[in-house]
Amino acid sequence: MKKIYALLLALMLASGYLFASGGQDTAAADDQGGEEKVKVGFVYIGPAGDFGWTYAHEQGRLYLEQQLPWVETITVESVPEGDAVRFIDRMVQQQKCDVIFTTSFGYMDDTVQAAAKYPDTTFFHCSGFKRSPNMGTYMGDMYQIYYLNGLISGALTETDKIGYVAAFPIPELFRHMNAFGLGIKEVNPAATVNVKWTYAWYGPDKAREAAEALVSEKCDVLGFTEDTPTVIEVAQEHMEKGDTVYALSHYSPMQAYGEDATITGQLTDWGVIYEQVMKDYKAGKTADLSNYDLLWLMKENAVELGASWDEKINGKYVDALKAKMIDHAEFGNISVYDLVMKRYDQMKQGREVFDPFTGPIYDQNGNMTVAEGEIASIGHLFGEMMYQVDNFATPLPQN
Amino acid sequence: MLEIITSILVRTVVAGTPLLLGTLGEVISERAGILNLGVEGMMSLGAATGFIVTFTTGNPWLGLMAATIAGALISVIHAFVTVSLRANQVVSGLALTMLGLGLSGLWGKPYIGRPLTTKMHAIRIPVLSDIPVIGKVLFYQDPYFYLSVALGILVWFLMKHTKVGITVRSVGENPKAAETLGINVARVKYLCVMAGGAFAGMAGAHLSTAYSKSWIEGMTSGRGWIVIALTIFALWEPSRAFVGAYVFGGIFVIQYVLQPLGISPNLLAMLPYATTLGVLLFYGMSKKGKRRMSAPATLGEPYIRGSR
Repeated sequence: MKKIYALLLALMLASGYLFASGGQDTAAADDQGGEEKVKVGFVYIGPAGDFGWTYAHEQGRLYLEQQLPWVETITVESVPEGDAVRFIDRMVQQQKCDVIFTTSFGYMDDTVQAAAKYPDTTFFHCSGFKRSPNMGTYMGDMYQIYYLNGLISGALTETDKIGYVAAFPIPELFRHMNAFGLGIKEVNPAATVNVKWTYAWYGPDKAREAAEALVSEKCDVLGFTEDTPTVIEVAQEHMEKGDTVYALSHYSPMQAYGEDATITGQLTDWGVIYEQVMKDYKAGKTADLSNYDLLWLMKENAVELGASWDEKINGKYVDALKAKMIDHAEFGNISVYDLVMKRYDQMKQGREVFDPFTGPIYDQNGNMTVAEGEIASIGHLFGEMMYQVDNFATPLPQN
Repeated sequence: MLEIITSILVRTVVAGTPLLLGTLGEVISERAGILNLGVEGMMSLGAATGFIVTFTTGNPWLGLMAATIAGALISVIHAFVTVSLRANQVVSGLALTMLGLGLSGLWGKPYIGRPLTTKMHAIRIPVLSDIPVIGKVLFYQDPYFYLSVALGILVWFLMKHTKVGITVRSVGENPKAAETLGINVARVKYLCVMAGGAFAGMAGAHLSTAYSKSWIEGMTSGRGWIVIALTIFALWEPSRAFVGAYVFGGIFVIQYVLQPLGISPNLLAMLPYATTLGVLLFYGMSKKGKRRMSAPATLGEPYIRGSR
């Protein structure tokens, strides 16, 4: 018996790797003739069917294949962070990929390592800040959308407690949550942001329990960073029981999961970003990637406000937002709906017109992190932001 | 505060339900001497089947039935390989996990991003559900909770107090002796493995049609493995499966409630596993416990008919 359990334990550990390596070769078989194809590999953090982050990338990959016939792609799903090199090895050596996209922040150091190991392969890492001659970065960042979500959430909350289910304490999360917090503060200075950390990008059960815990603490708007529509479901269930709990969709259009609960959300169109990267590659602009950082924001149409591609704000809540009037420092007496649309238009024109991270910004301890009148630098937002702004009620997570 | 406590208890019971169902199934299977590591796969297949059937028919009860049957059917593979062919149970079980995860991913693909319009709704039991705290926890839950409790009691009764239970246990402890009594060992093993599969399928259907109302690849997220740990935690006793399932469910839930107190989330995430170790240590160190801790004697060993 003891032997069996020892073996069992070993196999259980081993099986984790096996599942992760369930790669998928989606390349077309009949790729002969015509111009030479560029083989592109995608490393995914979760299953392509998560209907969140990885699903959005998968849609982008499909769009890429459709738009650029000279591109053929392969994917590998559910690759653990911190162990991606093995998978990249296989993509380079066996599959002979020319270009590899690593689509999670946690692959950053592995991608750096792989880029040094394979100087003839071109790497692009999503959401990171480290680059090398053959490794560039790209991101469709939604912090501006988060800010708009914050404006809306701050207007709709009745308990003045807004919940957030967060994955990992990294700059990306703090950037998004802080933009959200700043939006909330702008319309409702009394409201607080309450965060629960799940330590998982893909963890529907963890996100569910974290969301339930937030609701039991009287949070009535839920935002989240997790790769499935679980939090939306939780809010919808509470709505159906007669409690008022709103939620914000994340990455993919999740309105169908909560027709009543979803107010709005953040959407990313990775397709246009991938298309641009591959066009740059084809045009030979990627010989030295040390400074290649394709950061697309609202201006470049990479991100959009909404829980579905059809409407920016759930039609059910448009009237409530139009009726909600606030006194705004810049625009005077204005409805929240108009404020959202004004800010939306401003941000569409670019960071210099309006940016949520315009000082003064204070962290939870009262330290000024962005000086009065200044716009936070991209470096600050993407590499240094490891604090929560002053309307967060929960402390930074302990380690 | 009362509200938070109520919420913790309600969530505990919900989180514990699939664990309870799965553990009961694995207890039955292991009691008959067959270790089935395929729980994760059977559960996942149950979740996908349950979802697909509920989605197409609009009836979550049909989904539950289909999931139960799917779980039982896929487990036949394990029974055939380990009982008829007498192959290694560990390898077969792991293969079953991969098969189940793969099949469910394949079949479920068209249903991603399409939530159910009808899910298994909570049943409010009149009068009893008005009792403060307890009412909401025990008498206002989805049908899977009542089902799992009823099945748990049934399995406990069958195992402890009926001839069926003695038959199953004797097959697991000493198949040779059982055979001399005229018991068809292979048939009992087959049926027990299938019962295990049916329970795992039910647990899966709970995840996709009651706990949540969508199919997402990998939504069992390791519960199948927790079930195997829980079976050991329960020392192969259905009654202890209740304790184990709700303790594990509770620990899982409480992690998020305790977070604002500044306790490291990583430490809290470790709790379920630390508890299992603790229980094994506790029983391992006490004399009385040591005897109880022994697994079914022929667990994992193939039985060759008529061998000595």
